[in-house]
Amino acid sequence: MTRTRIPEIGVIVAAFAIVASLPWLAGSYMVSFAFSLMMWLALTQSWVLFSGLTGYISLGHAVFFGAGAYVMVLCWGTISFWLAIPLAGIIAGGLALLLGYPCLRVRGPYFVILTFGLAELIKFVVVNIESELGQFSRVVFGGPGVDQLFHVMVGLAAIATLMTYVVRRSRAGVGLRAIRENEEAAETIGVSVARYKAFAFAASAIIPGMVGAVMVLRTTYFEPLQAFSPITSFTIVSIAIIGGGDDAPGPVYGALFLVVLQELLWANWPQLYMIILGLLLVFFVLWSPDGVHGWVRKWQLGGRK
Amino acid sequence: MILLEVRSVTKRFGGVVAVDNVSFSVGVGEILGLMGANGAGKTTMFSLIAGNQRPDDGSILLDGVPIHGMRPDIISRRGISRAFQIVRPFAGMSVLENVMVGELFGARQEKSTTIAEARARDIIGEVGLSDRADDFADSLTLAGRKRLEIARALATNPKFLMLDEVMAGLTPTEVAEAVAMIRKLQSERDLTVVIIEHVMGVLMDLCPRIVVLHHGGVLAEGTPAEISQDARVIEAYLGTGRDSAA
Repeated sequence: MTRTRIPEIGVIVAAFAIVASLPWLAGSYMVSFAFSLMMWLALTQSWVLFSGLTGYISLGHAVFFGAGAYVMVLCWGTISFWLAIPLAGIIAGGLALLLGYPCLRVRGPYFVILTFGLAELIKFVVVNIESELGQFSRVVFGGPGVDQLFHVMVGLAAIATLMTYVVRRSRAGVGLRAIRENEEAAETIGVSVARYKAFAFAASAIIPGMVGAVMVLRTTYFEPLQAFSPITSFTIVSIAIIGGGDDAPGPVYGALFLVVLQELLWANWPQLYMIILGLLLVFFVLWSPDGVHGWVRKWQLGGRK
Repeated sequence: MILLEVRSVTKRFGGVVAVDNVSFSVGVGEILGLMGANGAGKTTMFSLIAGNQRPDDGSILLDGVPIHGMRPDIISRRGISRAFQIVRPFAGMSVLENVMVGELFGARQEKSTTIAEARARDIIGEVGLSDRADDFADSLTLAGRKRLEIARALATNPKFLMLDEVMAGLTPTEVAEAVAMIRKLQSERDLTVVIIEHVMGVLMDLCPRIVVLHHGGVLAEGTPAEISQDARVIEAYLGTGRDSAA
């Protein structure tokens, strides 16, 4: 059994502390690159906490990101954004409990399609509310500076990473993985599967909600089709597939890989990006379902024997 | 003293009556054999007791308390455990982690993974899988998986253990080892066991009392000697001369 080790937690915290010091060490290009990296890392770690451990593949995590963003714009001008960010997380978590109630009763492809469909449904509900209100996109001016937002994002990525790391090694993590491997057997030997799935789903929505709220402040505008874009969900799943979805290191490899790929290709050959990403997904799904983290672990185990 | 009592339980699947008005009881510390041809309703009976299925009629009592209609995880915490006929290991987890699930979530509800791990290692030793503890469950042979199935069921710390054809598909040597293992576990852990087995010698050997199911109902009940002499049982298993000629 892999267990939680204090030195490992120390390494994780130190690594994020180094990333957080980038604004003093590197230029604005590096900071914006790291911003994007931290955002995808926070989102994918949260996704792994639920989908990676339970095997219920959520294709609707964009809805939590979008809901968080929407909470931020609605709160804009009423309460401090320092309060609005955690509020966005709480509302995203509550939304997950609500959505989980119907969704978590089905497994496999049905769950995937249901989460995707409900996320799209909520997107169009928000689009219609906004057009009824006569709002086609909202602008949010006068928020905190980039460096401050960057520190919040690094904090969210660090918390998401530690959550996945600790839960994966805890009693709850054993129960969640038992659900992934065989839900009926897990239930028969005492795992209260409904409660575990609901809590994990809610926990995996909180940070994406806060990330959405921070991103509104970063981009300074809100447009529902973009905030709730399903591309966010697809990208999260792609990162988890490439990096590996069973433990905290996976999203780190996956997010690094994808963000570097985006930087290289978007600058020079933007039309190639989707083609290469598609080929990579086919490769990993068919030949390396455990992702980059799977290779690393195999290599470590091989070295020990 | 009666530990588990099944009272007039009926279970239908559409038009098929899988279990038809079945009653029997199991005493504390007993090893009861459950016998019957394919489709007699043995595995369904286990599913009803474990809570994987709900009876349409009748009641099931553990220590005099009704448990039918409860969720399987609640029933597991009350001390009933089940090894599946078709083994269901957590394939992507190690043998050790498989067994830990039972310690952490079964009757004992152990909160510490360290203690659960130590206890799980003991149980893995008892079923003879110590050298495979850190391997993935799907790397085990069928005999190994059957042992794992028993270990995981035991790890929930049950009072009442149901073993469903845990010896099917094993070689005679493996069967002999498994019989010795079950007898040892039962006496050391004060278990009450109900065992379904097609290997007749095993039931005759292990069980002082046997219940025979046939077409969902109880056909006979008695000692192995009585059962093997019972005309109805012989007819159900071998058919009468007329049936076999037809």
